[in-house]
Amino acid sequence: MDSKRTPNGPVSDEIEGDENTILIRRTLRSGQKFYYNGNVIIMGDVNPGAQVAATGNIIVMGQMRGVVHAGAEGDEAAMVMAFRLLPTQLRIANHITRPPDDEVPSSTVPEIARIKNGVVTIESYPTGLDRVFR
Amino acid sequence: MGEVIVVTSGKGGVGKTTTTANLGTGLAQLGYKVSLVDADIGLRNLDVVLGLENRIVYDITDVTGGHCRMRQALIKDKRYDGLFLLPAAQTKDKSAVNPDQMKVLCEDLRQEFDFVIIDCPAGIEQGFRNAIAGADRAIVVTTPEVSAVRDADRIVGLLEAAELRDPKLIVNRVRYKMVKAGDMMSIDDIIDILAIDLLGVVPEDEMVVITTNRGEPVVSDDRCRSGAAYRNIVRRITGEQVPLLSLDEGGFMGKIRRMIGFK
Ligand SMILES: Nc1ncnc2c1ncn2[C@@H]1O[C@H](COP(=O)(O)OP(=O)(O)O)[C@@H](O)[C@H]1O
Ligand SMILES: [Mg+2]
Repeated sequence: MDSKRTPNGPVSDEIEGDENTILIRRTLRSGQKFYYNGNVIIMGDVNPGAQVAATGNIIVMGQMRGVVHAGAEGDEAAMVMAFRLLPTQLRIANHITRPPDDEVPSSTVPEIARIKNGVVTIESYPTGLDRVFR
Repeated sequence: MGEVIVVTSGKGGVGKTTTTANLGTGLAQLGYKVSLVDADIGLRNLDVVLGLENRIVYDITDVTGGHCRMRQALIKDKRYDGLFLLPAAQTKDKSAVNPDQMKVLCEDLRQEFDFVIIDCPAGIEQGFRNAIAGADRAIVVTTPEVSAVRDADRIVGLLEAAELRDPKLIVNRVRYKMVKAGDMMSIDDIIDILAIDLLGVVPEDEMVVITTNRGEPVVSDDRCRSGAAYRNIVRRITGEQVPLLSLDEGGFMGKIRRMIGFK
């Protein structure tokens, strides 16, 4: 792995981030759409009626209630993570899912959605805190 | 110099005109000079709600088109000396007014009035853009229904894009029994999505319909809860900190941490 220079000068090696990530510091409201070639991090909510799509991963530091599409150009390794994952519809690559009709959606912990064994799977996102306070 | 406030909602029939009439009347009761502007071109009805229909000679398009002076078009209210209405036109041509003309109109009105309140048409097209063009602040009205809240959210996004920040929310037609039974969205549910400050909550009340049909806004009626709710909203608009109406059923708005004044 190549060494990289941090802004302060010292060399940082070992860790390499994903290029091409955008930070959105607001809430996407009904009728608003966002598409990005790369990864998206949203500091805010994605409200019902809003849409976010990215060729890479999507992380929502808030409530994800709209339509979300990670790996929009076919990347099956892409994932969606949200503090509260309550999407109207969730797509990864060409897999399209929606919550079951007979279930009141609820989400109380951060969750992550990704493709496992060919199906979209949603699991709670293990934060370090869970391990400490268990 | 007065403040220009636009009352919007996205969805029709949720109570914009009712709200505009009540806030205007309530502010005039407190002694403020208020002008109400009906920006719902083609579907005017603020004049009817105020019982002023039979006094209309000129309308908003006569003013923007230079066919009359502002003073000639403004109609003085029957009851309150400080309250005036600029009626909408009944023309079908919604492009009769444009945003630049509205800005000029609002500037003129704010020279003479403490508050200019604009009743916005439903929708997100030209009529909406006209109504918000000259405003300093926005009030968003919704009912506790998923579709109305969705439209309100869309409006908040469009207001933000138009640099009208920090809109305030009025939730209208709340039925406490239904909320308690879990059959209606609670105020918490709505705030959870819209994430804007709550200006007030108005209960569903048949007195609103009765007083509207009489052409006398319910805010003047001391006996009913909806009138009290509007009076509280009026005081918040003037900058007072007024707690939310204590409702007999109590406790359904537990998560709301703070009530805000308007200024
Ligand atoms: N709090 C309320 N309780 C009962 N009826 C109401 C209430 N608010 C509004 N209404 C009624 O709802 C209808 C639509 O209200 P209106 O103010 O004309 O909506 P908008 O201007 O948004 O289209 C009117 O008939 C009005 O009397
Ligand atoms: Mg109306």
